Order: sequence, then C-alpha cells, then structure tokens
Amino acid sequence: MVTLKQFNEDQVIYRTEGKVIYRDGDTILKVFDESFTKSDILNEALNQARVEETGLKVPRILEVLKIEDHWAIRSDFIPGKTLETLMKESPEKEDAYLERFVDIQIEIFSHEAALLNVLKEKMRRRIDQSSFDATTRYELQTRLAALPTHKKICHGDFNPSNIIITPEDEAYVIDWSHVTQGNASADAALTYMLFHLAGRPDLAQKYLKLFCLKTDTARQYVQRWMPIVAASQSTKNKPEEREFLHRWVDVADYQ
Amino acid sequence: MSEKKYPVVDRLEALKKRLKAVREAQAIYAEYSQEEVDKIFLAAATAANQARLPLAKLAVEETGMGVVEDKVIKNNYAAEYIYNAYRNTKTCGVISEDKSAGYKVLAEPLGVVAAVIPTTNPTSTAIFKILISLKTRNGVFISPHPRARKCTIEATKIVLEAAVAAGAPENIVGWIDIPSLDMTHYLMSESDVILATGGPGMVKAAYSSGKPAIGVGPGNTPAIIDDSADILLAVNSIIHSKTFDNGMICASEQSVIVPESIYDEVKAEFKRRGCYFLDPEETDKVRETMIINGSLNARIVGQSAYKIAEMAGVEVPASTKILLGEVEIADDSEAFAHEKLSPVLAMYKAKDFSHALDIASQLIADGGMGHTSSVYLNERREKEKLNAFTERMKTCRILVNTPSSHGGIGDLYNFKMTPSMTLGCGSWGGNSVAENVGVKHLLNIKTVAERRENMLWFRAPEKTYIKPGCLPFALDELGTVNKRERAFVVTDEFLYKNGYTKQIEEKLTELGIRYQVFSEVAPDPTLACARKGAEQMKHFEPDVIIALGGGSPMDAAKIMWVLYEHPEVDFMDMAMRFMDIRKRVYTFPKMGEKAYFIAIPTTSGTGSEVTPFAVITDEKTGVKYPLTDYELMPDMAVVDSDLMMNAPPSLTAASGIDAVSHALEAYASVMATDFTDGLAIKALQTIFEYLPQAYDSAVSKKPAPEAREKMANAATMAGMAFANAFLGVMHSTAHKLGAFHHIPHGIANALMMTEVLRFNAKEAPTKMGTFPQYDHPKTLARYAEIARALGEEGADDEELLEKLIAKINRLKERIGIKPAIKDYVPDEEAFMSTLDEMTEQAFDDQCTGANPRYPLMSEIKQLYLNAYYGEHKEV
Ligand SMILES: NC(=O)c1ccc[n+]([C@@H]2O[C@H](COP(=O)([O-])OP(=O)(O)OC[C@H]3O[C@@H](n4cnc5c(N)ncnc54)[C@H](O)[C@@H]3O)[C@@H](O)[C@H]2O)c1
Ligand SMILES: [Fe+2]
Repeated sequence: MVTLKQFNEDQVIYRTEGKVIYRDGDTILKVFDESFTKSDILNEALNQARVEETGLKVPRILEVLKIEDHWAIRSDFIPGKTLETLMKESPEKEDAYLERFVDIQIEIFSHEAALLNVLKEKMRRRIDQSSFDATTRYELQTRLAALPTHKKICHGDFNPSNIIITPEDEAYVIDWSHVTQGNASADAALTYMLFHLAGRPDLAQKYLKLFCLKTDTARQYVQRWMPIVAASQSTKNKPEEREFLHRWVDVADYQ
Repeated sequence: MSEKKYPVVDRLEALKKRLKAVREAQAIYAEYSQEEVDKIFLAAATAANQARLPLAKLAVEETGMGVVEDKVIKNNYAAEYIYNAYRNTKTCGVISEDKSAGYKVLAEPLGVVAAVIPTTNPTSTAIFKILISLKTRNGVFISPHPRARKCTIEATKIVLEAAVAAGAPENIVGWIDIPSLDMTHYLMSESDVILATGGPGMVKAAYSSGKPAIGVGPGNTPAIIDDSADILLAVNSIIHSKTFDNGMICASEQSVIVPESIYDEVKAEFKRRGCYFLDPEETDKVRETMIINGSLNARIVGQSAYKIAEMAGVEVPASTKILLGEVEIADDSEAFAHEKLSPVLAMYKAKDFSHALDIASQLIADGGMGHTSSVYLNERREKEKLNAFTERMKTCRILVNTPSSHGGIGDLYNFKMTPSMTLGCGSWGGNSVAENVGVKHLLNIKTVAERRENMLWFRAPEKTYIKPGCLPFALDELGTVNKRERAFVVTDEFLYKNGYTKQIEEKLTELGIRYQVFSEVAPDPTLACARKGAEQMKHFEPDVIIALGGGSPMDAAKIMWVLYEHPEVDFMDMAMRFMDIRKRVYTFPKMGEKAYFIAIPTTSGTGSEVTPFAVITDEKTGVKYPLTDYELMPDMAVVDSDLMMNAPPSLTAASGIDAVSHALEAYASVMATDFTDGLAIKALQTIFEYLPQAYDSAVSKKPAPEAREKMANAATMAGMAFANAFLGVMHSTAHKLGAFHHIPHGIANALMMTEVLRFNAKEAPTKMGTFPQYDHPKTLARYAEIARALGEEGADDEELLEKLIAKINRLKERIGIKPAIKDYVPDEEAFMSTLDEMTEQAFDDQCTGANPRYPLMSEIKQLYLNAYYGEHKEV
C-alpha cells in the first residue's frame, strides 16, 4: 500500500497546479488532485500508452493507481537533462540543440496512432470555449474547417522542457497529456507560439525556418494555424498572455 | 427601416423550420410568369435603391469599416445596374426558340440559393444576390457574417418586403439571425446551390458541402503602369479605385508596378494627389501592423489611411488618401505583397515591362489567382505589350486603363462587362465560374430538341456526256471553252495496247494539246501505282487528267490527282473513317486547282466516273481503302458505250452485277432520297432487261449496241445513286472478300448479295442504323418496292423479297456467276483462317455506316459463313 506520507519533499521533481511529480526509485509518480476527473487521468495514461506502442522513445507507463484519494500514474524515470536546461547551460550550442529538437519532432510526425483524439476536434472545442466575441469565433471556426485534417501524432506541448537527453545521449519525449493526431503544421505553429510565449521570438523564428526547411513546408501553411493555436491557448486564461494572443487571433480571412 | 417581426433563426431547429418555409414558398414562386416576376424584380430593385443611404450608414456603423458615401454607390449599383442588366432578360419558361430547327430552350429555377454574405460589402452583396435570385424564381436564404449581421438582415428585409408587396410569396427569402458555422454548414448542405462570397475558408466550406457552389475567392490585383501610359489618368484612376470604400472591393489594386523610366514621375503624381510614401522605418511599422503571422490584421480592414498610420505609430496628414510602401519582394514573405483590403498600396520599381510582368505574375500566384489584373498603357501603340500582359496574367478579368474596383464589378467603365458583386475566379481560384456571376448561373436550362431530319443533297459531276460516239465531241471543249494545254492520260496496259487511247490521242493532237500516257494501272490499283503516276504528273505538269478504263484506272487516276495537287497529304488521314461526310474530322484538300478531271469508263459497272469514291489498296498491308470525298468527284464524265462494245463475258458479268449491287445498296441506304431512288430503280430495271443480252453478245462476240448502251447508262445511273446515298454492308464485306481472296469486285458483291438482302430485311434487327430519316426497320418494304418495280408480284413483302432473291439468283446464273464463295475459294481452311480478320475489317469499312442495319461483328462473320457454303442460317 503506497501512501503519500512515504514521500518527502526532496523527492518532488515538479509541482504544478493540481499535480505533483515524485521520484520513486527508477520510476516517477504523477499524483493528481481532485480537480482532475477520473477520465482525465485514465485518458492521459491511455494516450501515453498509445504513443509508447508506436515505438517512440517515451517513458513507459507502469501503472495507474490510487493513493489515498488521489489518482496517480507511475512511469519510467528518465535520467538526464532537459533540452531547455542544456540550451541554457551551453548557449553556444543552442543552434545545434534546436536542430536536434526539430528532428525529434519530425520523428514523432512520422508516426500514426489511429485511436488518439483528433486535433481539429480539440481545436474546435477550444475555440468554442474561448472568450472571444461571436464574430471572431465564427471566423476562427471557418478558418479551422478549411484546414487539412491529417493523422500525424502531434505532441501538443512540444517545447525544449519536454525533452530529456540521457547521459547516453538518447532523447526521450515526456508529458504526453496533450497529444492528438492531426496536421503537423498545427503542432509546429503551437511550438512556434510557445517559443514566443517563453520570451524567445528569436528562437521561434529560427525554429520555424528550420521546420519549414526540413519538412519542405511553406511558411504560410504553418501560419494558417497560428490564430487557431492562439485561440486554443487563450482558454488557459493566463492574463500575461492575453494581449499577445488577442493580436494573433484578430486577423481577417480575406473576403 | 423594416418594422415587421419575423421568427428568429438563432439555432438549428429554427433554421430547419424557416428553410422549409422558404422551400414551400419557392415551389409556389416557381410557377410565376415572366410578367409577374419582372414586376417583383422591379419592386425589389426600387426598394433597395431607395434604401441606399440608410443601409450604407447602418453598414458602416455596425462593421466600423468603409465609407458611407461609397457604400451608397455600392448599394445603388447593386440595385440599379443589376436591374438594368436583366430587366429584359427572359428567365421564366421558354427563353429562346428556333421552330424550324425544332430547338427550344427553357429556364427553370434551381430551388433555394444559400447566399453567404461577406462583411466587406454586406448590404450591396445581399441586395445583389436576392435580386438575381428573385429574377430567376429561386428562393434565397441569407447567411450573414456575424460582424455585419444587422445591416445584412435589414437590407434583406427591405428587399423581401418590397417583393412580397409586389406579389412574391411571403417566405421567398429567409436569413439566419445569429450566425454560427454549424448553421451555415447546414444551410449549405440543404440548399440547391451556394453563392458564397467570402474568405477562402467560406469558399472551401461551400465547395465541400456537396452542393453545387459558385464560390469566389480573394484577389490581389497588380496594376502595371507602362511608360506609354497617360500617367495622370493612371495614378488618379488608381487613387480613385483604391480609396473607394477604403479599399474593400476585392478587385481593388494592391500593388502598383512602375518601370524605372517613369518611376519618379508616377511617384510625384501620387504625392501631389495626397498619397503618402512611407520611409523604410515607417514601412516596417506598417508591415507589422498590417500582417500578423502572414494573415491580415482584421483591425485595418476598411479603415482610412490616416487611421492605419496611427495604429502603426506613423504620423501622416489626416487627409492622406493612400499609404504607399516602396518594396522589392513580390512573394508573400513581404507584408505589402498581400491583399490588404484597405488604402495601403505596395509600389514596385521594374527594370522594364517584362520585369513588371514577372512581378505581377508573382503577386497573382501568391494571392490572387484567377481574380483581376490591371494595366495602364497606350492601347493603340502598345498592342504587343497588351497581348503579352493578357497572355501572362492568370486572371479572369484583365482591365485596361481602368480603376479596378469599379472596372472589375462591370458596366461602369466598360459596358459589355456583366455587372456583378460576385466575381468568378475560374479553376485558378478553385471556382466553378470564371466570369462575373449573374442570372444565368441560377437557372436550370432545359433544352427541348425535337426530332429533325438531316438535310441531304444530290451531287454529280459538273458535266456528264452520254451517247455512243460522244467521246471526241466531249473532248472538243478542251480546245474551245475550257482551254487546256497539257493532258495526262491514265489507263491500263490492255486498253493502251488495244488502241483504246488512240481516239483521245488524235483528238488532243488535233486540238494542239500536249499529252502523256500512263498505262501501268493494274486491276485493284495500289497506292504505289498511284504514287508513280503522280510522280510523272509532277514533271509533266498537266492541266487536265483523262482517266480511261474500268474502275481501276479511274480510281488510280483520282488518287494520282490528289497526290499531284497536294503532295503533302497523308494517305492515312484521307482513309480515316467517318460517320457523316459533312462532319468528318479530316478536311479533304481542295481539288481542281491544278488540273481538270475527266473520267471515261470502258466498263459498265463501277460508276466511278460519277462517284466521290476511289478504292485503293495499300500494297504493304494488302488493306483496301474506299476513300471518299466530293473533292474526288470527276469534273466531267464521258459515257460512250462504243468503248464497251468488246468487253469480254467475265468483265461484262462482273461489272454488270457490281452495278446491281450499287443500286440495291443505294436504295436500302439510310441516306436514300427520292433522287437516288429514281436512279437506282431505273438502273435495276435496265440491268435486269439488258445485262443478259450484253453478256450473250460478249460470249458470241456479236455486237449488241443497244444492250451495251443501256448497260453503260444503267451503271452510271447506279453510280449517281450511290454517290449520294452511299453503300452498305454488301460492299463492306465484298471489299474484304475481294482483297483477301482475289475475287473480282463485282463477283465479290454478287456472292454476298442475297445474304445481305436477308440480313438487312430483318424486321427486328439487333441494331438498326442511326440516321433521323431511318425511323424504324423498313428495309424489307424497300426491297419489296424493288421487286414490284421489276415486275414481281406477291402476297406480302416477305414473298416479294423471296422473289427478288430468286430473280437475282437467276440473273447471276444466267451470266455465269457461281452461287457460293466456296466455288471461288475451294480451300476451306484458307478461307477460315482469314475469316476473323476479314470480319473485323469489313465491320470497320467506310461503307458500313450507311447500312440500314448496324452489324455486329459476329453477324458479319455469319454472313461470310453463309455466303461461303451457300446455305442460309439466321443472322
Ligand atoms: N470508285 C468507285 O466508285 C468504285 C465502285 C466499285 C468498284 N470500284 C473499284 O473498281 C475496280 C474494278 O473496276 P472494273 O470492274 O471496272 O475493272 P478494272 O478497271 O479493274 O478492269 C478489269 C479488266 O478489264 C479490262 N477492261 C476494261 N475495259 C475493257 C473493255 N472495254 N474491253 C475489254 N477489256 C476491258 C481492263 O483492262 C482490266 O484488265 C475495283 O478496284 C473496285 O474496287 C470502284
Ligand atoms: Fe462496287
């Protein structure tokens, strides 16, 4: 019987609203509070299991359990440093790391998992939930409906802090709670936005250039998704992002 | 403003209900007369026209975009110009009719039109779409953009109420009050046609809905000002157009492209008229304000230049008309290269006109495929530049010296261009329509085509001379009226050696005409032989060709004639099969420019002297081609039976029976006319009476001048009959039988003759021939007519057919023709080994087309088998 008391503070790897992640030997334990529904947790585990089954390098799901009143997911502990950390530690190697970052994302796109949630569906719901006025939501939905529906695995929060490089120099992608299947350009637009929100517009530019080059994608094709991912992000209601996201969303579909 | 209350359509259920009501109203409206519809159309247009100002104010107030005074013009335009363009257009019931051609065109409505309305031109587009729907007896359901909801609905109500007051059904127009994408999608999928104006997203949705969609896409109009242009006119036209409703017309100029040579002058003119040139730093600021992540900032759409500058943090005079950014890159990594829907212009400096074309093409490719392009130049002097521009631009509207906002919507600066608020962009823009959308796109067109008979004809040589001994008299005219200097005589060796050309040679000498004789034609002439003769003609350069002999020399001479006059022609082209000689793909070369053609038959059979046919064998493949064209018709035929007096029995029989086959096939042909019937019947009566005598005379060598003369005339008459009515399956099968097994042409026809009669006489054939005149299988009755004309009597047509067949068989026997193919081709195995190929080639023979019964290949095969064994089996 696992109890929460048996973990002490220095086992906490990460703490965020509603979740705590503990290290437990070779494993980690992600413990959720009651703001998450049962289906949220089972879904996250299920999605990650689906990604795991594609053969991508991700931490394995070991068990889903209940600790006292809290649902928890146990998975592999991956030793190493995140790409974010590495980039900070060696700014001179930033470009090389960024290139590796894009390669990993492209590798993910090369896989499919037919039972994952559908990206366009998720975006459609997010736009409906957003607080933009009816006109803007109508335009966003119209734009979204016309965008292509693909079936590539899209991580949904692909940024350097979600990649761990092991001492053996192997890259593991973590945190699959937002994974969907859809158009790679949507995921790229999201990553581009995340760089902006992280205060790194320069990296955002470099990233987009690299992505377009390596995948032979037109920049505009990625750009068509930007108002959509911005609207989706806005549902997180972060006041500091508000103005930025509004600017991104408030564009006209030519008439 | 409308006071009437309507049920609110704010969710799917309400939409379904209202759509049903519109559909019901439309079913009633579909029965309205043109008069009633025109009254409604006038009332609706009048109401829209009168509301031009309040609607303009409402639109600007609600959307915060555009200029009231300009929207007044747009509203007025959508009412007045559309009314004027279609006031007299027939859109109900019969819209055109050609009684004599039996051709009538009717217009019917499509049903319910789903009309998606944009924010940029909300009221005017609504007016336009409702008017053209009303004029075409369609119902219409308006899907407004949420940003322009109120003004769109107000315009809709005003037009609807006026239409209803003038007699239209109450619910003929519907609309969505609170738009949502789900409802728009539902409306699209439940309508009969979609008129979608809007961004690419909306247009795509329309095309994906599964309903016919007339969607139109974005423009990115470049305007080139050439150095030949009137700069004053060009610059001021562009300013006029670009500032119109703050640049929101989709055809509006987005970029100006100016050659170096006049760049400064153009720039100065823009400045003088109140336009502002951004410096590099200001250009950057406007870039950033204008385009966000490659998309147009919604806040600048339809704003004034001053307001946009203010948003970008650039100080400009309040009266500034247009912001110009001088840029170099034309692809869409440059913000200024985009469609801006506002008074912001890109300006490019081009090295020369061709560089300007490159820039313009790039701009169109990146944002305005299929929409509009504009050029300013001297139309009179610079035709080549205009042609180059027209050729290069992938746009459906190409405007010359015209403000493009006004020019694109039509009828303002060019009065042939259809006025419209919806501009098609063709397949380049992913649209189904490439022109300005109008009433014709909202109509189902019914074409009523009544059965009519094809026009037919009767053609024969310009001159046909007849009577024994007429030859020298006929040739006289070569020295008198029809002066000729060089004659080329084509004949065969036998005739040459036996002095048949003497008379001609003497006459030519007497007339002082130089001549050359070609006597190498062998029976069933080959292409090689014709080439050889043509080669000699090339050197001799005759101005008259005289063909003397049976079918072989006459046909060979016809081909030589073609090759001589048109050495460039390809034989296989001439041999290409056709269904209707008037519609054939291949245009036969014009004949007679170098030489006059005279045909003098020495056999009484082929009729080649009066026919447009020449049968020629390709010696390489052994295939026999009956070439056909009226160009091959001789200019003069000389039927002089003195030349036939000594024809041997076999030739007399074979050519005589050939003439029988011509008359029989011409009479049964689907193209037979009263003219050809008369000739065919007279020919048959004559042949049955005189061929036995002629044959006897050939055997006994006792001349029979009367029989020979009658046979000569009969053969030529039969020739005239089939020269116009054409032949049939008897000749199709005989041609191949002759070619594969070396059976003389006439004999081959004789062997197929009775089998083909039975085949054609079937009252319920597998397939009948396709020709309007041939309305039901009636060949049995036709053969019965022949039998009667030949003096037979019978209880019914079947009996008469049997009598006709018996009569033919008696004639064949009488003139020494054996009954079955096997009598001529005893090697059964040899015959069978060629059967399939013969069958296919016979089916593909040109003569098959006029046959009253369209044969299957399996049927032709059976015909051959029956004819081979001389035993009839049902076909
Ligand atoms: N163009 C047409 O409308 C048409 C129609 C039917 C047949 N044809 C073609 O015509 C050719 C057959 O013609 P044809 O039957 O007239 O035979 P032909 O021209 O081949 O002559 C047959 C033989 O009879 C000889 N001959 C010709 N006239 C003579 C005379 N008055 N006295 C003695 N001998 C004479 C010839 O020298 C030759 O040796 C075939 O190639 C056939 O396909 C053409
Ligand atoms: Fe013939």
